Amino acid sequence: MAGNQKNRLTSGGLIDRSASLNFRFDGKSFSGFQGDTLASALVASGVKLVGRSFKYHRPRGILTASSEEPNALVELRTGARREPNTKATTAELYEGLEAASQNRWPSLRHDVMSVNQLFAPIFVAGFYYKTFMWPAKFWEAIYEPAIRRAAGLGRAAGTADPDHYDKAWAHCDVLIAGSGPAGLAAALGAGRSGARVILCEEDFTAGGRLLSDGGMIDGLPAADWLSRTLAELAAMPDVRIMTRTTLFGVYDGGTYGAIERVNDHLPVPPEHQVRQRLWRIVAKRSIVAAGAIERPIVFAGNDTPGVMMASAMRTYVTRYAATPAKRVALFTNNEDGWRTVETALGAGLQIAAVVDARPDVSPAHRSLASKNGFTVLHGSVSGVDGGKDGVRKISVSLTGGARAEVEADGLAISGGWNPTVGLTSYHRGRPKWRDDIAAFVPDGAPPGMVAAGAANGAFGLGACLREGFEAGTMAARDTGRTGNAGSTPVADDEIFSLAPLWHVAGKGKAFVDQQHDVTASDIELAQREGFESVEHLKRYTTLGMATDQGKTSNVAGLAIMAAVSGRTIPETGTTIYRPPYVPVAIGAFAGHHRDETFHATRLTPSHHWAAEQGAIFVDTGLWKRAQWYPRAGEKDWLESVTREVKAVRSGVGFCDVSTLGKIDVHGPDAGAFLDRVYINTFSSLAVGKARYGLMLREDGIVYDDGTTSRLAEDHYFLTATTAKAGLVMQHLEFCRQVLFPELDVQLTSVSDQWAQFSIAGPKTRDLLKEIVDPAEDLSNEGFPFMGAREVALRGGIRARLFRISFSGEMAFEISVPARYGEAMARNLMLAGRQFGVTPYGTEALGVMRIEKGHIAGPELSGTTTAADLGLGKMMSTKKDFIGRVMAGREALVAPDRQVVVGIKATDKARRLRSGAHIIPKGQTPGPGNDQGYITSVCFSPTLDQWIGLALVQRGRERIGEIVHAHDPLRGEDYDVELCNPVFYDPDGGRQRG
Amino acid sequence: MAEFSWDVRSPLDRALVAGQYGAQGDAGVSLTEIRNFDLVQVIVRRGKAADTAQAAKARFGVATPETPKAVQTTDATLIWSGPDQFFVLSKDGKHGTEALAQPFASSASLSDQSHARVLISISGARARTMLAKLSSIDLHHDAFALGAAAATSMDHTSVTLWRGNDRDGLAVFNVLVFATFAESLWHTILDSAAEYGVAISHSEELA
Repeated sequence: MAGNQKNRLTSGGLIDRSASLNFRFDGKSFSGFQGDTLASALVASGVKLVGRSFKYHRPRGILTASSEEPNALVELRTGARREPNTKATTAELYEGLEAASQNRWPSLRHDVMSVNQLFAPIFVAGFYYKTFMWPAKFWEAIYEPAIRRAAGLGRAAGTADPDHYDKAWAHCDVLIAGSGPAGLAAALGAGRSGARVILCEEDFTAGGRLLSDGGMIDGLPAADWLSRTLAELAAMPDVRIMTRTTLFGVYDGGTYGAIERVNDHLPVPPEHQVRQRLWRIVAKRSIVAAGAIERPIVFAGNDTPGVMMASAMRTYVTRYAATPAKRVALFTNNEDGWRTVETALGAGLQIAAVVDARPDVSPAHRSLASKNGFTVLHGSVSGVDGGKDGVRKISVSLTGGARAEVEADGLAISGGWNPTVGLTSYHRGRPKWRDDIAAFVPDGAPPGMVAAGAANGAFGLGACLREGFEAGTMAARDTGRTGNAGSTPVADDEIFSLAPLWHVAGKGKAFVDQQHDVTASDIELAQREGFESVEHLKRYTTLGMATDQGKTSNVAGLAIMAAVSGRTIPETGTTIYRPPYVPVAIGAFAGHHRDETFHATRLTPSHHWAAEQGAIFVDTGLWKRAQWYPRAGEKDWLESVTREVKAVRSGVGFCDVSTLGKIDVHGPDAGAFLDRVYINTFSSLAVGKARYGLMLREDGIVYDDGTTSRLAEDHYFLTATTAKAGLVMQHLEFCRQVLFPELDVQLTSVSDQWAQFSIAGPKTRDLLKEIVDPAEDLSNEGFPFMGAREVALRGGIRARLFRISFSGEMAFEISVPARYGEAMARNLMLAGRQFGVTPYGTEALGVMRIEKGHIAGPELSGTTTAADLGLGKMMSTKKDFIGRVMAGREALVAPDRQVVVGIKATDKARRLRSGAHIIPKGQTPGPGNDQGYITSVCFSPTLDQWIGLALVQRGRERIGEIVHAHDPLRGEDYDVELCNPVFYDPDGGRQRG
Repeated sequence: MAEFSWDVRSPLDRALVAGQYGAQGDAGVSLTEIRNFDLVQVIVRRGKAADTAQAAKARFGVATPETPKAVQTTDATLIWSGPDQFFVLSKDGKHGTEALAQPFASSASLSDQSHARVLISISGARARTMLAKLSSIDLHHDAFALGAAAATSMDHTSVTLWRGNDRDGLAVFNVLVFATFAESLWHTILDSAAEYGVAISHSEELA
């Protein structure tokens, strides 16, 4: 199989030639080795054309060998696992890998949309804004869909991701980004000092540029030093090296985001394993040793397949033993680029020529050239002859004006190096320009963070080791780890010599941002049109806005802008850097929280019993509540709910109401405390009694309601609505701790301690007599309405019994410790069997409360006062309470406020819907005469028609008036009668009887 | 008349399936639900911190935790749950609400939480690795030593977490979670632990 790897060297490289891997690219079979990336395997197989560009559909190849790659983006995998815009340069090869090129049709070699190049003059910067302005309505219907089809990158899978993702926390003293010489030296310094260290490396192998550029460290070849160092670090229990992990963000308080590609290197994650893991790392100190990114020089045809960063070419040759070209030309403006010559010669490749933009080339290089028979040209590459089959020839503008041509099938370019300043700039630090290296270096890093090595502008191997080691040792010391760090690893420093060169003038398109097809002339145009600020430049041209975030293009772009606007590069400045450093899948942020487990859920104590009964559940906040219990033969929910209501009204039923918030209020001042938080008085409540209470917010608007019972002199049991349970607890704790610290009162949430059931209907007492110990007096005298006390149950447990009613029927609520909740439900069925007991859900509960005119969530809407709800008389005038003063404000006591009133349709057959607006009869609906809206509706089996509650201006004064209900959302208009909100048993005889 | 039986049923009764879960081989994580415990929330009354401490010392023979710690005695564990408050975890009514009512009558308010929480004991070679997916707390053996406790959250759910005595040389982490959230958290724990292999059991014994 290796036979078709025609550009693979026979020896060398960090690949395992005994582990051959088959893969497919655009349907064609290839092979590579373990240790390859998709890109290196394609290089080894002689593939130069890997994609089409975003706007012009130009043929593109592989530019880099790392995560800054702008061009070699593929759709990786197939079906539900298809991942668009995956960088071939970081995708590890595995057996059976399938990848497809993007943004081409019908094929990569014959792409119809490449005609776009002919129209290139109209696709200049800002072409959307200029071209698709008219007619405006064409934008959504025609222009945008057409543009999206023509431009763009890969296709999303379009189906649910079958894999799992998760999230985890990690903690350390020293966090290091990057495992090149600086990162490893930092880890040595920090680790030997005794610090807890996490080192994140985005590559699947540690080493950084050591893997490609080698060198001698401590007298050892780099590879030997690397394995010795990794072994030393592995032996430290508190040093953790995380490969395949990219540090992508910096957040407050020393928290960092990292994405670990746990199983992206396999076709499918092993069973029970995740594909990716999102890390939140909390670190006391951090060291950015993320290296530097070699930058291109912008010239005509610089996007031709076969044009490659010089450092990437060395990586393919040295690390992957794959040769991108046979006859290589080098275009450099610096000393480092020359390393490529040595690497290429070492691999037996020909050097066509070196084009050096500097005025001088060292004698050593000259003798290298003469020894190996290649020419050194002083000047710049100004054009490339070639196409989808790669580079054929390059044109050179020689210093002094002459021209030359060089035949070559690959062009390595080196414009110098840009330190990776992303991580250090995420808290609005602005990188600082250094003339000596013609690059931005980190400045204003977040607290606790330093940069070291190439990321800090120190490009020599010796300097990287020194800076890294010192940073690691110092960071450890800052966190109190002062063990013996030993001595710094030692290596020589290479000569640094660079003559800045950003752009070579010439004929043809010269690309700055290859992923977004932004050219040098687009930048010049933006400047002419006034988009001179780098932030404007970015948005007008989309420079740096692609998935690579301009890692290879931003600095060149702003250097060109600086030149055309007559400013220096630091004057021109950089755009704001924002995370993530590399794209992070949404799935990783979601982790296990998807589908049914999108959020945490709460189950009532009788949940599983209700599920056995076939209950339909509804999400109520986090709760799953039984909504109704369908029976065989019932055609819809309404039939089931109607049956449940009738069963309760005529017999007995029960409902799990454990979702109510329940709070123990203890202490000698419990009564005084409740007097201040409720509008009515609780200190006067007798032990053994319950009372309905209403709470206001500070601003006088109703907050919540519920019954509170006094179980002992110094113990009240407070209930809150399901929706507000947590908020009421917070509110009361705030009142206790901040507003009334002088009161001796203690609060404990007991919501989960008690299973609570409402038992309602005329046969409630009959049922209770079956289950409650016969010694307990349940008569109207022995247990009157609003009584509350503990009772013994048959079978030996104790319960709390409250005679309260939400349904308007004779009713009790019974509480038992929650682990008896399921037994309670079964026992209620048993005790009530002879009375036809019927479990009912939240729908029937809602129907009965509307029939009885009780307010609930839709009326406690955060806009209503106690008086609006018909409860104004509950407001005590004998004491102070939260919200009292503000409730007296003019607008809150205005006579024309919208207040709760009942409604029923004049046409008895009509269905009501909440949300409809109330308009005076005969008027045309509009904001001027909108008098309120319908808050709650239900079909009332008792009245055999739909009824509802509404908030209507002066509603209580207008009982009997016919008004108009206007529902523009559903296109309904009908008349309703305003009526007493208490539709059922208005004098309350049933609940007291 | 009908006979009523009052089975006590843990909120995890359905979700917990004893045995092996997830990856095969040696389980990296052991999950044991502790059932039928007594848990009392003790909150100091205003100005009665010293009295409460004295009553606790007399009752349990140890000082009450005043920082996030859990203090274990032979028959009870006192777990810090906030300023001036702690839990008493015990068995068989020995230190239940009724038993503690008298000793703390004049100094603290008590609330029975025995049915309001589920207690899950987590151990095994990969326990820390698994818990790192659920908890933002640093559980390194130096940072979260024996007896360390935290009122924190897991999976957006409030929990009380403390480190008990090591078992077989491995750390044991105890999690008290609100009963109605327990099944939801349990599934998240299983999702998080599956890759390490899980040994699932329940027990009537406090560790």
